Amino acid sequence: MDVQFVGEHLLPGKLGQFFVILSFGSALLSTISYYFAAINDRPGNSWRNIGRAALWVNTLAVVGIGSCLFYIIYNHLFEYHYAWAHSSRSLPVYYIISSFWEGQEGSFWLWTFWQIVLANILVRVAKSWESPVLAIVMLSQTLIASMLIGVDILGTRVGSSPFILLRNALEAPIFSRPDYLSLIQDGNGLNPLLQNYWMVIHPPTLFLGFASMVVPFAYAIAGLWQKRYTEWVKQVMPWALFAVMVLGTGIIMGSFWAYEALNFGGFWAWDPVENASIIPWLTLIAAVHVLLAYKNSGHSYFTATFLVLISFVLVLYASFLTRSGILGETSVHAFTDLGMFWHLVIDILVFAVIAIGFLIARWKELPITKKDEETYSREFWLFIGALVLTVACVQIVATTSIPVFNAVFKTKVAPPTDVVQHYNKWQTPFAIIVALLSGLAQFLKYKDTNAKKFWQSLAVSFGIAVVITIILAYVAHIYSNPIFVALILAASFTVVSNGKIMLDALKGKWKLAGSAVAHIGFGLLLIGALIAAATNKVISVNKSGFIPVSGFEKENKPGDNLMLNLNEPVKIDRYTVTYIGDTTIGPNTFYKVNYKSFDKDGKVKEDFNLLPNAQQNPKMGLIASPDTKHYLLYDIYTHVSSVPIKTEEAEHEHEGHDDHDHADDGKYLEPITYQVSPGDTVRYKEGFLVIKSVNRNASISNIPLANGDIAVGLKIEVHQNGKTEEAEPVYLLKSGNKFDFGKTIDNLGVKLRFTNVLPDKNKLEVMLYRSKPAEKKWIVMKAIMFPYINLFWGGTIIMVIGFLLSIFRRNKELKQA
Amino acid sequence: MKKSAIIGIIIIAVAIGVIISTYADSSTYASFAEAKETQTELHVVGQLEKNKAMIYNPQENANYFAFYMRDNKGTECKVVFNGTKPQDFEKSEQIVLTGKMQGDEFHASKILMKCPSKYNKDQVEVKANTAAQAKI
Repeated sequence: MDVQFVGEHLLPGKLGQFFVILSFGSALLSTISYYFAAINDRPGNSWRNIGRAALWVNTLAVVGIGSCLFYIIYNHLFEYHYAWAHSSRSLPVYYIISSFWEGQEGSFWLWTFWQIVLANILVRVAKSWESPVLAIVMLSQTLIASMLIGVDILGTRVGSSPFILLRNALEAPIFSRPDYLSLIQDGNGLNPLLQNYWMVIHPPTLFLGFASMVVPFAYAIAGLWQKRYTEWVKQVMPWALFAVMVLGTGIIMGSFWAYEALNFGGFWAWDPVENASIIPWLTLIAAVHVLLAYKNSGHSYFTATFLVLISFVLVLYASFLTRSGILGETSVHAFTDLGMFWHLVIDILVFAVIAIGFLIARWKELPITKKDEETYSREFWLFIGALVLTVACVQIVATTSIPVFNAVFKTKVAPPTDVVQHYNKWQTPFAIIVALLSGLAQFLKYKDTNAKKFWQSLAVSFGIAVVITIILAYVAHIYSNPIFVALILAASFTVVSNGKIMLDALKGKWKLAGSAVAHIGFGLLLIGALIAAATNKVISVNKSGFIPVSGFEKENKPGDNLMLNLNEPVKIDRYTVTYIGDTTIGPNTFYKVNYKSFDKDGKVKEDFNLLPNAQQNPKMGLIASPDTKHYLLYDIYTHVSSVPIKTEEAEHEHEGHDDHDHADDGKYLEPITYQVSPGDTVRYKEGFLVIKSVNRNASISNIPLANGDIAVGLKIEVHQNGKTEEAEPVYLLKSGNKFDFGKTIDNLGVKLRFTNVLPDKNKLEVMLYRSKPAEKKWIVMKAIMFPYINLFWGGTIIMVIGFLLSIFRRNKELKQA
Repeated sequence: MKKSAIIGIIIIAVAIGVIISTYADSSTYASFAEAKETQTELHVVGQLEKNKAMIYNPQENANYFAFYMRDNKGTECKVVFNGTKPQDFEKSEQIVLTGKMQGDEFHASKILMKCPSKYNKDQVEVKANTAAQAKI
């Protein structure tokens, strides 16, 4: 039975799905055509021309998919699962862009988009390399396009389409109603952590990096395939540098986002998803260095080719790790499985088999030298450096892959209990060696170097580095750990020796600037990362108010989290912090925390407010984002770790009691009723009342008294907190009806009513209302001081600039050749 | 033999050593009973015992959170965490603890929880909206 659904917009989805199929078909056609063009083209390059035409159709299709998907999300067409799952009506436009790539399908689209942009550039610039290189690139495009198909083939769902309808994606009884759409008011919304401007630009940059990794791979394969063993090296240099630069930038943006928006308290957590992106980056950096060694000396051909090839395979492995759901509970931000586990495995296998196949087939012809490298030659140490980087990668891959090994061997090994410490322990020695080598290699020439001169210039730079290290170690308090000192020394050595090259570059040897700048950046990055990671300290520790937890005294320092009551200053480190209020903007509540520090004379030296925020998201719980005060030499980073749960209390207040004019009774505790006579004193918890006298001539403004009406006032003294106030509530009998007019004493938070006269007992009835104690507002927060973290960010920026300069140089070389 | 070949072999040996020692660092998933036998930190997987009280009182101590957890073998144990209570902890459907036993209490250094609301996006939230229905 077909149900006619009301209100659906099916056209954009159908059009989008058409583009999805078109993009797969055109990519496949382009791959095949370029393959034949590379093997043996027909006269007039007809295969190549078909390949190009299909590539252009593919470009159109990919843009078409993106436009349809954007149209769906932008117009809140929640009949589509993707829009429903990743966006909501309240999202501003720029976050609609982030919700576009929050899901797997959107990020795959991003990948295909960048890949086809790069393919179009290759059509223009690759010349004689066009056919073999694009055959490989378009093969990659075909495989990624297949991830978006979402069609059943032989009973298995292949890929996952972003255009699937909500009613087809989920099963729920409401989908049998033709008007189901009217019941779905809003989408699930974007994860609040992703509602950050870095999330608008970090994913596109990262995916441009991933996508550009295919180009060096394609050139390496083309070189083997076409037996142009040495030529491809020159061609690949600008592309490899480009990939390294963009992927590096993307990774750093992610790191900055984590630091600015996540509350794990740092810039790098060794999360499997982070590792997955840095592994191929490191191998490609190693590859760039041995490519240079080969280009200049003829050594390390196999290592260079192998590293270029493995880098792309590792990109695919990274996408498998993050998208197949295999990481499970070891990662906080991997995707869940969309049923593409084997699809992703096949993707890796296809390219791994191509790489290994070509290497084996051409093994005997590879230009591998039989000559031994000179010890005093740059190529030898570049080779060593590349190998050390590779071993560092092996370590990261090994630990990150624990869940994969568990799945393959059916074991149940748990990751190390302290992951960060585990990685740091391993990676610090590798970083020391790599930093030393990147300083050392600058004093060596290709092929052979004068040993005496080498040692002389080495000694000078090393001496300067030692001086810098002593100063840094003293200033940053890291002298107690010899490993840290060694890393600072190695990194300073890199900065100094590359600084020397930089000086030469300024004198006119501009060619050398790129590498020098990149290595200086690398050295600064290491110093900044080490100092910030090793000496950051939690300052939200109030030792005076520390209550020992039984059983924890021995091994634990006072806890990291600090309780702050509203307007009650607490001293931590050199600051006095006060929680001074909060404001709620949209779904976010910003907690205003004031930091003040004083100098010796008690004058205010620093005074700033931080606004860490928390979103009490009904779907995802409390999501806290930090706020950071940036100084040149350190950052003060603060986030809330626990806040009172917001309830609907605010609304209850208005409901109150409906009886006559006492609508504000909700503010008060249950009233106490006294039967008193003048002269009595009655006590209550906070103070006491003295009943002074009865005023028989009370009048009430606006109410004229008629004959027979009685208005009686009761003079009462209220003593509370050392203060005394007088009040006169009035009792009124008008036309036989009883009324009373209470008096509120605001500064004591008390209200008095004179509610009855009891002639038979000769008593007067008084009701006392006391305000509820103000609900104390509080937050629990954590504050961390990160010293010298700007060296880390600055180092990364300098490094990226260095890559950029190198790209210009290698590109120029290519054009001159 | 070429120098680079020798170094290559050394590096491969180091790499193998690295992998092996990586696994020496790795931990195990265990039950509370097994945790009692050892002093090393390990992982315990289980569910929150929802019938027993959770203790978190930031006014007294913002860094003391205690609760009861039942591990996958059905053993119940008091867990103490030197930190704040994760929000929505009540809703967690699975908890992974890292830590070790101290007497009869399990002292956790890390708590990882899985919330159904966070991951199970496939629950359509239907809000009846009279205005929308009136249109039809």
